[in-house]
Amino acid sequence: MTRGTRIFLSCIYWAFVLYVFVPLILMVVMGFKDSKFIGFPIRSWTLDWYLGVFEDAEVVSVFVYSVAIAVFSTLISVIVGTWIAVLLEGRKFWGRAAVFGLTILPALVPGIISAIAFRIYARLLGIEPGMFAIIWAHAVHNVPFVALVVMARLSTLPKSQTEAARDLGADPLVAFMRITLPYLVPAIMGASIFCLLLSFDDFVRSFFLGSYEPTLPVLIFAMLRSGMSPEINAIATVALVLTAVLGVWAERYMRRMNKETGR
Amino acid sequence: MGSDVASVRKPGGGKGADAGATFWGRLVRWGPYSALLSLIFTSPRRQFVILAAFPILWVLTQHLGPMLQMLRVSLTDSYPVAQGTDTQFTLDNYVRFFGDRIFWMPFFRTLTFAAVFTLTTLIITYPVAYFLARHVSRKNQLLMLLLLLIPFWVGEIVRTYAIMILLGNNGAVNLALRSLGLIDRPIPFMYTSFSMGVGIVYLTALYMLLPLYSALEKLPKSYTEAAADLGAGAWTRFRRVTLPLSLEGISSGCILVFLISTGFYATPVLLGGPSTTVFAETIAGFFHVAGDEWPTGAAFATIMFVAALLLTGIFQKLMNALRKGDTR
Amino acid sequence: MTKLIMNRRRFIGTTAVGAAALASPAYLRRANAQGSGEVNIWTYNQFVPDAFKEQFEADTGIKVNVRLVDDQGKQFNLLAAEAPNPTVDIVTVAGHRFLQFIDSELLAPMDTGRLSNWGNINPTFSESDWATINGNKWGAPILSGMEVLSYNTDFVSAEEAQTWDTLFSEKYANQTAYIIQDMMSIVMLMMGYDGNMVAYMDDPDKAAEIVEEAKAFLIEKKPLVRKYYDSGAEVQQMFVNQDIVLGHSWNGPAAALINDGFPLGMSIPQEGSYGFVYTLNVANNAPNADNAYTFLDAILASAEIGASMTKASGFISTYKDSSQYLTELERKSTSFPEEQLANLQFFRAEANQMKYGLVDPAVEAIKAA
Repeated sequence: MTRGTRIFLSCIYWAFVLYVFVPLILMVVMGFKDSKFIGFPIRSWTLDWYLGVFEDAEVVSVFVYSVAIAVFSTLISVIVGTWIAVLLEGRKFWGRAAVFGLTILPALVPGIISAIAFRIYARLLGIEPGMFAIIWAHAVHNVPFVALVVMARLSTLPKSQTEAARDLGADPLVAFMRITLPYLVPAIMGASIFCLLLSFDDFVRSFFLGSYEPTLPVLIFAMLRSGMSPEINAIATVALVLTAVLGVWAERYMRRMNKETGR
Repeated sequence: MGSDVASVRKPGGGKGADAGATFWGRLVRWGPYSALLSLIFTSPRRQFVILAAFPILWVLTQHLGPMLQMLRVSLTDSYPVAQGTDTQFTLDNYVRFFGDRIFWMPFFRTLTFAAVFTLTTLIITYPVAYFLARHVSRKNQLLMLLLLLIPFWVGEIVRTYAIMILLGNNGAVNLALRSLGLIDRPIPFMYTSFSMGVGIVYLTALYMLLPLYSALEKLPKSYTEAAADLGAGAWTRFRRVTLPLSLEGISSGCILVFLISTGFYATPVLLGGPSTTVFAETIAGFFHVAGDEWPTGAAFATIMFVAALLLTGIFQKLMNALRKGDTR
Repeated sequence: MTKLIMNRRRFIGTTAVGAAALASPAYLRRANAQGSGEVNIWTYNQFVPDAFKEQFEADTGIKVNVRLVDDQGKQFNLLAAEAPNPTVDIVTVAGHRFLQFIDSELLAPMDTGRLSNWGNINPTFSESDWATINGNKWGAPILSGMEVLSYNTDFVSAEEAQTWDTLFSEKYANQTAYIIQDMMSIVMLMMGYDGNMVAYMDDPDKAAEIVEEAKAFLIEKKPLVRKYYDSGAEVQQMFVNQDIVLGHSWNGPAAALINDGFPLGMSIPQEGSYGFVYTLNVANNAPNADNAYTFLDAILASAEIGASMTKASGFISTYKDSSQYLTELERKSTSFPEEQLANLQFFRAEANQMKYGLVDPAVEAIKAA
């Protein structure tokens, strides 16, 4: 590759970084504005909005609630999605196309439709609105993304590896656990991040399936009724920082576990 | 049976190899386990049934169930049903769509927008994915990819309002341009297809970036090197080697983005202008404004969904033909 | 952390109740829920003041669960999805939306005899013509809103804001915004018709003609508008970002901007405008109906509570004498000159079915044009 292309491409990359980060920076900055509305000009600054987030017990508990929902729904999605991917990838059977179509269906349905469909169906199944209902809806909605990502990774797994394990006497289950699953880890990690993100950011399903405890986006939507206040920016910023810290901690923790077990 | 597999999975995934080796060793030698296995794995058929039962049950009850329920609603004359009345099955809700051009306009506009935004996202993210996959050392790749993902953690609404104060008449961009003396009156960026595009690409970039990145990352460097040895210039190498081999990533990214863009609601509503009404807004209107129009909303959603699926099906056929043409 | 545990406990509780509910008759379930000393409310952010809520819980031992909603339509959908045995006791319905809820049997008639503080509401609201439907009262009015013309006082003069025509003038081309649904009613009023369409209930052809005329007008003026918007937060942001200098809005969001020191003015133009009232309502089949009445009576008890609702929302309190608890600026942003108030009338629900049957497609047509 010529140096010219390289520099050109890196410029594009950093321009893209700028594009995705500028709104983010504006969001953080507006949280310091001493007014009830975000926007320019900023005449005076205050720390109150940010300090207020930590003093507000409701915001903290809503954050914990949202994270819990995201984690549980992701766990379910990952298990089910991986299972489906293992079934579908590299196997030909009658009705495979239909199963594949049904697998990706929830990802393709517009938000409000899927929310109302889930709400009606939850009633049919006798699921009461609340944490469990939200976890259920998020889990179902996110399964397709896990399945797609894992299938993509699975298609690159050399067949010789599992066959070698089988030759060495491993039964299919052990071969799956020792060979296939470790190979899938990067895909599962990526899919998990994606699911956590989708769940944490979901408004419409959480709203329709929730009960009296709001998730973070539901709370923000309700607060928005009385105006886009810097308070909302402060909450969103703090949530972002907290999730980032949690994410880094989880990543470190897992890496250390892996090192200790000599992987 | 299904739960056995799931419960075995946990200790294996968590503990790692060393503990695993003894664990697996012990497990394999454990009587009931091998008895169970020999029961399951005696015939490939039984093995398949056990592998397939749970996923098929799941997609039928969890994925198809809600949608069938929706389809049922779209075929009724009123929902939610008031007590003491009956529902009649009817096709009127579908007929209504074809009867009025005020419904087709946003419908076709949405399909057009979705196509344009998909293409835009592809053009913007392809070089980014290419740069990441081909020009960044493996160690930094993940880090630089994660850097791009951070802003997506911020909720759609908060982000959208941030875009408003970025692009508004009194927004950051206009203020900057004015203080530089480049303009004397603000440029009205907001409430146009431009501002809508800025917001939408934010939502779609992630879905495009990941498939493109994984397709490009898989592509062996030796291919382009070989082409270079054969004297191909940079542009030729890209056009003849990289592009055809990343077609799979392009097509899956485009399909995903296209299908998802047809369902966007909040961002187009908040950032779009009077002439950018999308079909999701029309559909949502049946759920929000009037109470007894769920069936029509459901019918319209079905129409949108089927149309989007058909179009992506055609697109996929085209891409497949293209790929075959290239390898020939 | 304790909160999470509590949630989980509550969640286990509700699923258990849910499972029991499937098996047990409705009256048993009601008796069950009643013993728990709770009242469940769906309302807008800050409509129930925090201080009041805490006081009420301390005084009565009834726990107040508030679920925040952000839109009348969503509230209707939620309630419809839960009917006929809702989890909620009190909902917040705008007066002119009553019929939709009543027709679907989602609200219970209000027994005002059980509310000793009913008399604290200004009779303009509690005894207004829209408040009585089918011979019953359906809600306790708490806040009142109206459709106003808001304008940035740095750019638009108070004289110009005396007429809706300014909103459609070339001078402010692409610097205006409005909610189309609401504007349809106002345009009908501008044209000298009854925007509530009650006058045309017996003459659907005439009604269709009028809607058609209003629709044609808005389509003709479409090149002049910057944005058709939906929510108060949007119009506030457009004013702050100077994307618009005047627009139709509800008084609440505009008042909030004024109270924050933004150079904004409001007027009820001479052609007239419409007002609406937020009310608290008891849901049909409410699980804790007794507690709901206790709560309603308490929230109506003092003008100070009404004033704090006004402070938070910018809408005008329906309580007698509540303005004495407001600051000078707040009083200014929630009051209008007598001659402007004379132009105001309330939205009415009687003709809604016909009206929205015509207006909703017209709105779609305007958006699609």
